[in-house]
Amino acid sequence: MAGETARILVEFLEVAITSIVFLKGVYPSGAFERRRYMNLVVQRARHPQLRDYIHSAVFGLLPFIQKGMVERAAVIFFNTDGIPVERFVFKLAVNLSYGSKVEEADLEFTLRSFLIKLSVSESLTKVLPCDYRWEITAYFRSLPEASANKDVKQWIPTDARQWEQPPLLTPIKSMSSKPLCVQLYIEHPSLSEPKPQNGEV
Amino acid sequence: MSMESTRSDKSAKRSFNNNRNSASSNSNSNPSNKKKKTSQKTLGVAWGSNSRSSSRSSFSNSPFSNFGSYMVEKNRKLQNQFEAEASTSSHGGSGSVKPIFDGVSIFVDGFTVPSSQELRGYMLKHGGRFENYFSRRRVTHIICSNLPDSKIKNLRSFSRGLPVVKPAWILESVAVNKLLSWVPFQLDQLANNQPKLSSFFTLKRSSVSNSASTHAPCQVNPEAEDSSLKVGTSGDTYFSEVSEPFEHRKQISRESDDLVNENSNASLVEETAGSSGKPCEVAMGIPSNIDAEDESSVKNDLQSSHYQPTALVSSNCINNQNMKGSPSSMVSEPSNQSHSTLGDPNFVENYFKNSRLHFIGTWRNRYRKRFHSLSNGFNCTSSNIKASPLKTAIMHVDMDCFFVSVVIRNHPELLDKPVAVCHSDNTKGTAEISSANYPARDYGIKAGMFVRNAKALCPHLVIFPYNFEAYEEVADQFYNVLHKHGNKVQAVSCDEAFLDVTDSEGDPQLLASKIRKEIFETTRCTASVGIAGNMLMARLATRTAKPDGQCYIPPERVDDYLSQLPIKALPGIGHVLEEKLKKQNVWTCGQLRMISKDSLQKDFGLKTGEMLWNYSRGVDNRLVGLIQESKSVGAEVNWGVRFKDLKDAQNFLSNLCKEVSLRLQGCGVEGRTFTLKIKKRRKDAEEPIKYMGHGDCENLSHSTTVPVATDDVEVLQRITKQLFGSFHLDVKEIRGVGLQVSRLESTENSKQGLERNSLKSWLASASARTEELCKNSHVAKESSNRGCEGEGDETLGQLCGNSVGLSIQMDSNTSNGAACLNEVSVLPPLCHLDMGVLKSLPPELFSELNEIYGGKLVDLIAKNKGKTENINHTLSAYSHEKIEGAMKEGQAARLSSMVFQNEIPVENKAEQHIAKEVLAVSGAESFVPASGLKKTDLIPSSLSQVDTSVLQQLPEELKVDILEHLPAHRMQVFSPNVLLDPTEIPLEALGTKTAENNSGSKDFVLDNNLWVGIPPQWVDKFKVSNCLILNILAEMYYKSGSTGNLSPILQRISSVSLHQLDAFQDGWDEAMYILCELLKQYIKLKIELDIEEIYVCFRLLRRFAMKSELFIQVYNIVSPYLQALVGENYGGNLHMSLKD
Repeated sequence: MAGETARILVEFLEVAITSIVFLKGVYPSGAFERRRYMNLVVQRARHPQLRDYIHSAVFGLLPFIQKGMVERAAVIFFNTDGIPVERFVFKLAVNLSYGSKVEEADLEFTLRSFLIKLSVSESLTKVLPCDYRWEITAYFRSLPEASANKDVKQWIPTDARQWEQPPLLTPIKSMSSKPLCVQLYIEHPSLSEPKPQNGEV
Repeated sequence: MSMESTRSDKSAKRSFNNNRNSASSNSNSNPSNKKKKTSQKTLGVAWGSNSRSSSRSSFSNSPFSNFGSYMVEKNRKLQNQFEAEASTSSHGGSGSVKPIFDGVSIFVDGFTVPSSQELRGYMLKHGGRFENYFSRRRVTHIICSNLPDSKIKNLRSFSRGLPVVKPAWILESVAVNKLLSWVPFQLDQLANNQPKLSSFFTLKRSSVSNSASTHAPCQVNPEAEDSSLKVGTSGDTYFSEVSEPFEHRKQISRESDDLVNENSNASLVEETAGSSGKPCEVAMGIPSNIDAEDESSVKNDLQSSHYQPTALVSSNCINNQNMKGSPSSMVSEPSNQSHSTLGDPNFVENYFKNSRLHFIGTWRNRYRKRFHSLSNGFNCTSSNIKASPLKTAIMHVDMDCFFVSVVIRNHPELLDKPVAVCHSDNTKGTAEISSANYPARDYGIKAGMFVRNAKALCPHLVIFPYNFEAYEEVADQFYNVLHKHGNKVQAVSCDEAFLDVTDSEGDPQLLASKIRKEIFETTRCTASVGIAGNMLMARLATRTAKPDGQCYIPPERVDDYLSQLPIKALPGIGHVLEEKLKKQNVWTCGQLRMISKDSLQKDFGLKTGEMLWNYSRGVDNRLVGLIQESKSVGAEVNWGVRFKDLKDAQNFLSNLCKEVSLRLQGCGVEGRTFTLKIKKRRKDAEEPIKYMGHGDCENLSHSTTVPVATDDVEVLQRITKQLFGSFHLDVKEIRGVGLQVSRLESTENSKQGLERNSLKSWLASASARTEELCKNSHVAKESSNRGCEGEGDETLGQLCGNSVGLSIQMDSNTSNGAACLNEVSVLPPLCHLDMGVLKSLPPELFSELNEIYGGKLVDLIAKNKGKTENINHTLSAYSHEKIEGAMKEGQAARLSSMVFQNEIPVENKAEQHIAKEVLAVSGAESFVPASGLKKTDLIPSSLSQVDTSVLQQLPEELKVDILEHLPAHRMQVFSPNVLLDPTEIPLEALGTKTAENNSGSKDFVLDNNLWVGIPPQWVDKFKVSNCLILNILAEMYYKSGSTGNLSPILQRISSVSLHQLDAFQDGWDEAMYILCELLKQYIKLKIELDIEEIYVCFRLLRRFAMKSELFIQVYNIVSPYLQALVGENYGGNLHMSLKD
């Protein structure tokens, strides 16, 4: 049953990440088209490469999510120095031992609230510097063995830097159900963090 | 690209960063970005032009004159599309699928599970229709899972009477492959959440009711799981013709409200002194089974197991024929609960709708309307009669067993059979016979007897239900006849009247037989006539004349007639009086005559004594046509009264008030004294034999007098609520409630009333500005207002012993010439007045106002001038300072105002606000003296309103001054600032105030399981705590829906009132400690999985901390703990600083 949950979750992540990218205005709004997902109007990337990137990244996580290896998935926006400016973190907890059938509708109902909340969360986010990049990063509980699975090969170590100080969290939405717990929060560099522009490491 | 070790050893981090990624991230670089943009733009244009061209093409085909015709076209196209798809899909399907949704056309509103597209698919497949756009004509069912409140409230306009059904209806219909009844699938919200109260309030809604309506949600909610039951159990029969029962009911109730409003100029229950106790019993008997059908009137429910009266015409119909036209629906309810106040929020309304007594009462109104001119003309001539009392001939005409004969006049075969009228013919029933014909009376059947007893006496007794329509008709005919024969007619009831025939030519006896004959010919019912020299004797003569006869008592025979007459027969002698007289061994009028007038008056009071003395001698000086002014107007319900909880009771009371208010308005009077009568089940009383009756009860009553007469429903509601609170009853014990208004003043002739109105409106306009203040201040105001009311109640509580307390209260009211409690209800409470406005009033206006407020205004002003206490000085100075400070601060204040919205300082608003606060507190204060608790104290409530930043800006000496006063005041101010309605937590509140014991602290030893259980352990702990804030928390746990989450609770608290949270001293440390513990445990509980909840809670807490010392401390203690845990779990800190 964890497979079913994971599939829904991955689908959701794809939509949510697209929403974040849309929300942050990385691309002109024309790069997205309105689609309906879980009965909600959401955005979908029109550009095949962008769509494909999000899709393959997220679906690349599927086997690991099923094994419960993925702890967090983050959308990181960072400046040209590779120092993160803002991170949208999905903290995931899939209950592998959850036996009974997952009520898909229930799950979707709660996941919907993420998308709704996300669409009104722009005020919580920071204005990005003019030149920045973004990536999807997954945090694993343990490193998967490279040989074990071909999926792993798609994943490469990130070159994004870490903050020196613990970041400030702004929770966006949390859900917890028996099969699945998802929390979405935004991380910003703490105020005492050296300014990204000045950071010369 | 290098591997990086992450913070936790376990986790590794990888990035998906292949060429695709770089492509996308590269695209951020400006040139490519631009390129992309352009390409996107073309895409967008392409899409746009596509759609445009498509629409244009259709435009060119059929040029649309406007949007409407475009939509018509669009709908047509959509339909065609749908039909095309339907034909393919049903072909594609098994082909033989029976179109189960034949004739069903759905419109999906909002989010549903499954989605609207899936539902559309089902409709496609199974022969139904799917509408993209709502249309009353095409759509047959609205499908939705959830409705926003606004739509629920305006269901009628939203659904246009169509059923609103959950999608499960379609799914299950598909599953069983046949069309199921939609009724069980009706939207839960509608079934559970009839917003009745709000619809009651809609009639007249002012700012007061607005504030009241903030309570409304909690009052409405708990109602009526029953009603969902009702819907659930109702069968398929009313499928399409009955659209939506609840709405209809609402509609009906609205309509009837209006109707009554317009028409019932005289719908009153008259209660002349002495008889007040009596009619309740009868009133109770009437509605029983009818109430079962109450929500609706009648139609297609003959198959239901209950006996159904064939035509139930509510008393409202009497008032207006339109009523009949309104569609009605029927929900049969086997549930007994619906007979009582428990199941039916509209109980009061329906009760009166189906009450015979109510029919009689409202009939008068109709009569006056109809025969207005006639009786007027009579009134002109009546003065002539007075001159010649010698040879008067008075005729009393009374229909014989009116309620039965009218019903059986179409059943000649029943003429000599025993027949009774009752609303139920269930032979086991405890419904009471309301009228029986003479053959039935021969069996010993009497009015007021239970049906089962009557059936036992006479098994072949035929029982008919009421036929109000027929009664109405016959009564009209009856009076037509009477008016034809004399213009001096005094209607007593719909079937009974006095005629003064002194001026008529000929023998009154002949005239009487003529009248009787005519009555019989027109109505096919018999009437009896008594003739005598005065009304008393005429009435007594009728007694002898009955049935179907006439009797003349000439003056010389009066003494003989009376001497053997049992005293009971005299009008005005009821059970009580009879018993008293019998104790004196008086059984007949002859014996009564032996007693001297003086001793009668000594024993029974001046008036009653005189009446007895006169009546026993056949003396009656009343004149026909002299319409007695009613002394009181009221309504009483003693049947089916069962309350589950306080909210039930409150709901019931407010409906009762509405009824009374309508009656007052109908009579064109306003009253000053309000008496709330309660029947309370006796301790040892069993459930009454009579179904839903009141059984053995204690009769309690409290009353209060307000300085200015009123008929305003909101005022009534407030007064009643206060009165009710003063009973300190367990609502479960209540079996009957009546509200009576006396000291009536006519609405039009009271000049004072007009003046008051203008004053009132003037006041309103003065306070209009204050209304502009943002919500928060409104809440503050409200709560301070509540504080005042609460104080009043508590005063009572302190004085202990309801009656004693009340009388003291009353005394102080009357002696002051001002009812402090009642002022709150009648006029804008003192605390609503704007001090600045008051001061600038012209002296004469002020003195008038002052009079209305019973002299409190002077005190108020005096106090505000700071004569009595220098604290006031401090405060007013301080508040000025505060405003200035706030102004000076400008943006700085604005920054903090996110939390502190009500302080946003538009200058004069802030000023008013503060003035109002001052008033609020001193207003509360001025209520106190009644109980001897002197309090002159303003600071804490204001202080907690002040945000610290402003405080910082104050000059040092002022600050010190304020802070110095603070601790002393905390203690004192507690009682004026009681937050909650004391009826809800009276004991705790009192306990806190007086008790200094810290015994409670033992309970708060470290306990790690505060959040364990449902409800969590802390709730019970807090409930019994002697610390107010903890009580409130526990209270709010239930109010917020017992979800087990803290944030709804805190949210509730924030909406109640923050500025008084500090208003206690006892157990401060203890409260702080336990709160911290509670929060810590909550954090621990939620940190891993629900950081959002914690975040919400702490943002709220931080907001509290702006206003409350206690919460500042709590927040400061718990915050580091929180951040530590967040760091541990999330590797960061919660972002708690203020947003800019």
